Amino acid sequence: MHAVMMPQKTGKNYQAQNRPSQGSSSYQTNLSACEVKQKPSDSKENNPMQDDEHADDQDGDVLQIAMEYFEKDPIRSLRSKDKILEKHLITVENVAWKNGLAPETIDILLNVALSGRFGNAVNTRILKCLIPATLISEDSVVKAVSWLCVGKCSGSTKVLFYRWLIAMFDFIDHKEQINLLYGFFFASLQDDVLCPYVCHLLYLLTKKENVKPFRVRKLLDLQAKMGMQPHLQALLSVYKFFVPTLISVSLPVRKKIYFKNSENLWKTALLAVRQRNQGLCPEPRKLMLGPANIRPLKRKWNSHSIIPVLNSSSHTTECGKKEMNLSEYLSSSGSLPLEQLQRFPQLLENIHCLELPSQMGSVLNNSLLLHYINCIRDESVLLRLYHWLSQTLQEECVWYKVNNYENGKEFASFLDTIIRAESFLHEGFYSCEAFLYKSLPLWDGFCCRSQVLQLVSWIPFNNFSEMKPLLFDHLAHLFFTSTIYFKCSIIESLKELLQNWLLWLSKDIHVKPVTDSPLDTSLCESMNSVFKLVHYVGWLSTIGMRLESNSTFLMHFILDFFETACDIYLIYNLPLVVLFPRAIFYSALFTLDASILNQLCYIMHRYHKNLTAAKKNELIQKAKSKLSFSSKTYKEFNCCLTTMVGCLWTSKPFKKGIRFSPETLEKLGVEEHKRSLNLVYHSSLLGYAVSFLLQETPEEKTINLSSIQGKKWNLYLDYLFSEELQGLKLFIESCIRRSSVS
Amino acid sequence: MSVLRPLDKLPGLNTATVLLVGADDALLQRLADSMLKTDCASELRVHLARSLPLPSNVNRPRVDLLVFVINLHSKYSLQSVEKSLHHVDASFFLGKACFLATGAGRENLCSVHRNTIVRLARTYRSPVLFCDLEVEGSRAAMAQRLARMLQISAGHVPGVSAMSLLSLLRSSESPSLEDL
Repeated sequence: MHAVMMPQKTGKNYQAQNRPSQGSSSYQTNLSACEVKQKPSDSKENNPMQDDEHADDQDGDVLQIAMEYFEKDPIRSLRSKDKILEKHLITVENVAWKNGLAPETIDILLNVALSGRFGNAVNTRILKCLIPATLISEDSVVKAVSWLCVGKCSGSTKVLFYRWLIAMFDFIDHKEQINLLYGFFFASLQDDVLCPYVCHLLYLLTKKENVKPFRVRKLLDLQAKMGMQPHLQALLSVYKFFVPTLISVSLPVRKKIYFKNSENLWKTALLAVRQRNQGLCPEPRKLMLGPANIRPLKRKWNSHSIIPVLNSSSHTTECGKKEMNLSEYLSSSGSLPLEQLQRFPQLLENIHCLELPSQMGSVLNNSLLLHYINCIRDESVLLRLYHWLSQTLQEECVWYKVNNYENGKEFASFLDTIIRAESFLHEGFYSCEAFLYKSLPLWDGFCCRSQVLQLVSWIPFNNFSEMKPLLFDHLAHLFFTSTIYFKCSIIESLKELLQNWLLWLSKDIHVKPVTDSPLDTSLCESMNSVFKLVHYVGWLSTIGMRLESNSTFLMHFILDFFETACDIYLIYNLPLVVLFPRAIFYSALFTLDASILNQLCYIMHRYHKNLTAAKKNELIQKAKSKLSFSSKTYKEFNCCLTTMVGCLWTSKPFKKGIRFSPETLEKLGVEEHKRSLNLVYHSSLLGYAVSFLLQETPEEKTINLSSIQGKKWNLYLDYLFSEELQGLKLFIESCIRRSSVS
Repeated sequence: MSVLRPLDKLPGLNTATVLLVGADDALLQRLADSMLKTDCASELRVHLARSLPLPSNVNRPRVDLLVFVINLHSKYSLQSVEKSLHHVDASFFLGKACFLATGAGRENLCSVHRNTIVRLARTYRSPVLFCDLEVEGSRAAMAQRLARMLQISAGHVPGVSAMSLLSLLRSSESPSLEDL
């Protein structure tokens, strides 16, 4: 059953490994190969310490010998026997999979693999075990690429090298030099076999300044030649993202995942590396504005292992001198290492010289960097973050793997971190959206429920009709077949989604002129999407109420939603008023629960305010307003309002009357049905009426409800208002002219 | 040995009967156990069958909901369900039947693609549910959902019929996941 266990270490081991004392600088900066032996071993936690060190010492020595062998001049290597080669290869493989390789070792091995000194099989084996201990230096990559130009390695080695580069992209310490080779990589697109991988690499590498008209032309030529390949589309979409004016071809909008992650050969190894890198800083940072170095509560460490720890690229060289102060740093390297960044003023002072970490995922845990990302408006940064996120979400998703318990918890806390970052930025990530589209159809509605629903509420604003088959249909599917609690949480998260959308739209309207919103949808279309969302929730709640036999509990959540929906015009300043469905109105009006009635009154009051304000504005700026509310909305609202006033206030419910003969009504004993829904007799308020009368005349044995009239009616109202029925008060004050009645 | 019909018997008082059909006995048994553990106002009866048709000499109650359990990791389980489908009366597919596909998450083990099941369900105009029955929590959640559907199709939820639930669960032509 549980056949596919990830060969990762258990959380317990990690805790031991990542004691703060080991997180010092001693083992993160070993640039020389021989220092591998200093690394604590992960896999032998249970052995006595001495044995452990001994074994590691041996490993290190053997590796050094192997390295010397590989470094030897080419001719001698060629002559040497296969046996020796095999022995050294095995050594390297062992060390690589156990501890990873130091940057220098990787440098040497890359050289060997791509120089074509050995056969294809050996090259493949070497490439497959090139797993970094922590980071890969940029220089080795550049050198390796230069070997590609010499033409000494075979096609398959080249392919493998590109795949390796893509997989390890996050672990390369700098990328500027590599970016300078952009032209070279781009030229490799010619090669049909390499094309998909080169596309993927360029997808990761592209910056705005790399997008040139001639490159676009070349890509379009390629697409014409090869057809709509997903990898070409991916690259084109990045180009279009950076310079929309250059690319006029239409690309599929919904497509968000272009590259299959299943092709990654180094998956498990990468996980190990990430975990190793985390060992450098055992305390995850909390999201907060103040000083970030406040120690968070003692938390299980393993829960954060998915997200890499902040590690600036320049850090590696200077880590030994811990006492260096800020100004020295600034003068020496020109950029502030991210580890030093701890306060907001610091961020402001150094904002010009910050260099983002090579592993973008680490910013999720750092509030200051999230601020930074948010304000620099560099698309490539966001693109890197999104890419990392979608990869990781895909890899870690629990219901894609064997669901073991630990894994599930880890994934849940990873989602929590993402949600915290999203709500911190007040912005949804596109990768989470794509993840939801992909995984919601397979979701059982159980695992990580609260996290998934929160992710739903952070979906960026989008065209509703486009999202419906991808998301809302599946959500409805779950809604109809699940328990009442799940129904409530779905409605709750849809309320938050609506709030986020409205906030985003209202901000957008004020920032930009109405005509060019970033999604190329006019205001009218966006309003249509919001309208459809409210309508959709109305539909869900109508059926939900029927399925749950008018549960009061569910009704609270539904009315909560409409409390947001009724105020779109006034609070969010958006030209839209959507009424709730009649079914909801009536079941709230005939409720047994006073708080529901109170909430309904409040909503009616707000609708009233919104609609009057809209009408007023319409009269004032008739020429200006593009969107006028349909008279249908007003009519419907008026109808609801008359019914409500008729029931609660004037005791004249239902204009058309009831189609029962007086005799039947007499037989039923409800000849006085007309007043049975007013404020005194209403099923939810009857208790208030009784206790009001008892308060007046405590010694009375029989209570005469019909005595609440005239002056007493007003006293009764004041009594109701004093019982915290604020919604009712607002409703009566705004919608009813009391003087005319009393 | 005959065709299974939904309305050929009278219903029992406050009882709802579900018939789980699938080739994997152990999984069905575990699902049945979870269903019986769910908190439900109606009295639940769970019957298991490896395949249809059922032997006709046994007296059994009216079947209110028919669930075809397909393990995506085994081609045989799909084939056996496909064969069983021939022995079901068409009126079952008016809301009293559904498909349950288990194990879709672990793509590397799947020998049946989930789109096959989606297509199959669409052919029979019936809903398809995805879950992983081997995981305790997921199984319990699914048992709860099935119990809910069973109550509706047995007519125990006032105002909602099996047909109306079916029409709610009918998904619009959604684009296949591969396009994403």
